[in-house]
Amino acid sequence: MPPSKPTILIIEDDRKLSAALVSGIESAGYEVSTASSAEEGFFLVHSVRPQLLLLDLTLPHRNGLDILRQIRQEGIDIRVLILTSHNTIEDRVEGLATGADDYLGKPFSFAELLARIDALLRRFLPPKETFTETIGDLVLDTRARRAERDGQQLDLTAREFDLLLYLAANRDRTVSREMLARDVWRESSRYTPIDNVIDVQMARLRKKIDDPFSVKLLQTVRGVGFCLRETRT
Amino acid sequence: MTLPRTTTLRTRLTVYYVAVLAVLLLVYACLVFALQYEALTRQMVHDEVQDVITVEGLLYFDTHSQLQVQQNYYSRPQSHLLVDRLMEVLDASTGAVLYRSPTLNGMSMGDRLAPSEGVLGFNQRRFELADGTKIFMVSHIHQMAGRTVVIRLGYRLDSFRSYMGRFLLLLLLAVPLALALAAAAGQSIARSALKPLDQMNTSAESITAHNLHDRLDVANPNDELGQMATAFNNLLQRLEQAFFQLHRFTADAAHELRTPLAIVRATSEVALQEQRSADEYRNALSSVLEEAVRLNATIDSLLLLARAESTQPGEQQTVFPIKLLVDEVLSFLEILLEERDIRVVEKVEGVESANVLGDRSLLRVAFLNVLHNAIKFSPPQSVLVISYTNLEGPPSSQCITVQDQGPGITPGEEERVFDRFFTRTGTAAGSPPGAGLGLAIARLVIERAGGSIRFETNVEVGARCVVCFPVATLDPSEPAPFALNSGTA
Repeated sequence: MPPSKPTILIIEDDRKLSAALVSGIESAGYEVSTASSAEEGFFLVHSVRPQLLLLDLTLPHRNGLDILRQIRQEGIDIRVLILTSHNTIEDRVEGLATGADDYLGKPFSFAELLARIDALLRRFLPPKETFTETIGDLVLDTRARRAERDGQQLDLTAREFDLLLYLAANRDRTVSREMLARDVWRESSRYTPIDNVIDVQMARLRKKIDDPFSVKLLQTVRGVGFCLRETRT
Repeated sequence: MTLPRTTTLRTRLTVYYVAVLAVLLLVYACLVFALQYEALTRQMVHDEVQDVITVEGLLYFDTHSQLQVQQNYYSRPQSHLLVDRLMEVLDASTGAVLYRSPTLNGMSMGDRLAPSEGVLGFNQRRFELADGTKIFMVSHIHQMAGRTVVIRLGYRLDSFRSYMGRFLLLLLLAVPLALALAAAAGQSIARSALKPLDQMNTSAESITAHNLHDRLDVANPNDELGQMATAFNNLLQRLEQAFFQLHRFTADAAHELRTPLAIVRATSEVALQEQRSADEYRNALSSVLEEAVRLNATIDSLLLLARAESTQPGEQQTVFPIKLLVDEVLSFLEILLEERDIRVVEKVEGVESANVLGDRSLLRVAFLNVLHNAIKFSPPQSVLVISYTNLEGPPSSQCITVQDQGPGITPGEEERVFDRFFTRTGTAAGSPPGAGLGLAIARLVIERAGGSIRFETNVEVGARCVVCFPVATLDPSEPAPFALNSGTA
């Protein structure tokens, strides 16, 4: 019997956003319940027992932080990811201090949301034992920081290797420029020059890992980001 | 004296003024009374002395050796007080009473000689008669018919006292009257003096965001109220400017947000008009997504501007070497330089590690924008010259000049490029135009750090951007510069 899918509860009062989230998260392989008010959400937390809660902070009648506080007071074992348009450092700090596990400002890229959900649900799995990542004929040695494809050594700069490693860790999933800026370039905010730098860097990486080969691994998803995936033709 | 805060300024001024006046008037009344008392007493002594001298000439012993006064004494017209005068004559050696005026009704004016009466000249003293009448008398030693006599002459004090009493009453009645008049006058003067204030109040009440161009009337620019009105008008002037800028900015921002929204709307509508292929739908959605990202970037920039604008001086500020920051930004942008084969030439004159004071993360964004801008406009295989010059003070300043070989700035647009949402056409390599906020953010951030940024005019090739900062000296309590360098590298 296959393990049951993790359940995610979404408390979000905007029906349109809520519908988009349900559709996107379900197709990523999760069970989804939704609530449009704090009371309903709180009821579902108890009845459905979801593993993860996506919580909007600005809800009618009752603030999202109130629910979070109550959940933590009752000691319910659930991971909480806050989604909000209040996106200042103070808001983040308050959210995390109240007991949230992660925080994502609206508007977010869906790719990033999925990455965060995966990370939160995976957090307690044991770390990988191996030091190699393999995508098709591309092999990354994470300890020696070397990459080769089809037996040929690839001459990558440190930044290119980091980028490739990040893409490999998120294989088959689209990563957004926001994620790359924060996780690979370690830039706290996003500005136009950064996107430019990312695009150029990505073009160079593609030149090294894909151009000499017939099967292309690195794909650009227009308007969304980049994806490293093994395409079977 | 403190009055309740609810009273008007006018009332308070009047009350203080009347209180001071009351004290002054009381002091004045006391002085006047004392002077009058003194003057009248002196006059009385003078009259009595004159009387004594007159009486001396009129005294005579009759045939029975009885002392008598010639009766024509009473007919002297100038001696109006004399009718009331009390007189007693004593023998100086025996102390026997030689004469008593009828007005005394046989009462004594002191019987024996007092010690002070034996001397020459006129002796003056107060005395109380047996019936309680208070008198003021003058004694004088006089030789007549071979005998030494003492003449005592006195006036009743009751009329003098009642006169002084009436005088005092009059004075005391005059004080509150004067105070009442002064209060009324003070109130009306204060009212007319503060009248412009009331008018200013009314005008100020009526000024709202819609008529910020209204100004207060300045009656006399030299008096205090005129100065206040002028200061207030200057404040209104600045507010109006700020308000206008904000207004224009909001309008600009709305306009800038409309363009991507228009694209989103048009693309979606066109896609939905008829049945299309999956690829066409994918294309439309991607285009919509790109615009959403662009909208988000514009909003992020607007928030960054707001953050830089609301930062108070001193907040988040650190001292750090500026060259390290520029090098950091250059290494971040290195990939873009390599891609276009642009060579960076650094020229350092004077001190290499000049420190500046500012919000490092915001200044990093500023230089990211300035350098990215220069790279964006540089043709491939060109040279980007970055020079550091130290201008001797005081206060000494550090200037960073970024010279590119791009198309340069259209003459006359050197200032406009810093306007929000200003975009230049003709970027090399067809990179997408930004939101036009980069240089506006750079200028705001650099000026917040006390620096300046401008594009030089009359540059032969390319554009030359000059950024200057006052050199900051490290606080002795802070770590040494090299420690700081390694910390920020």
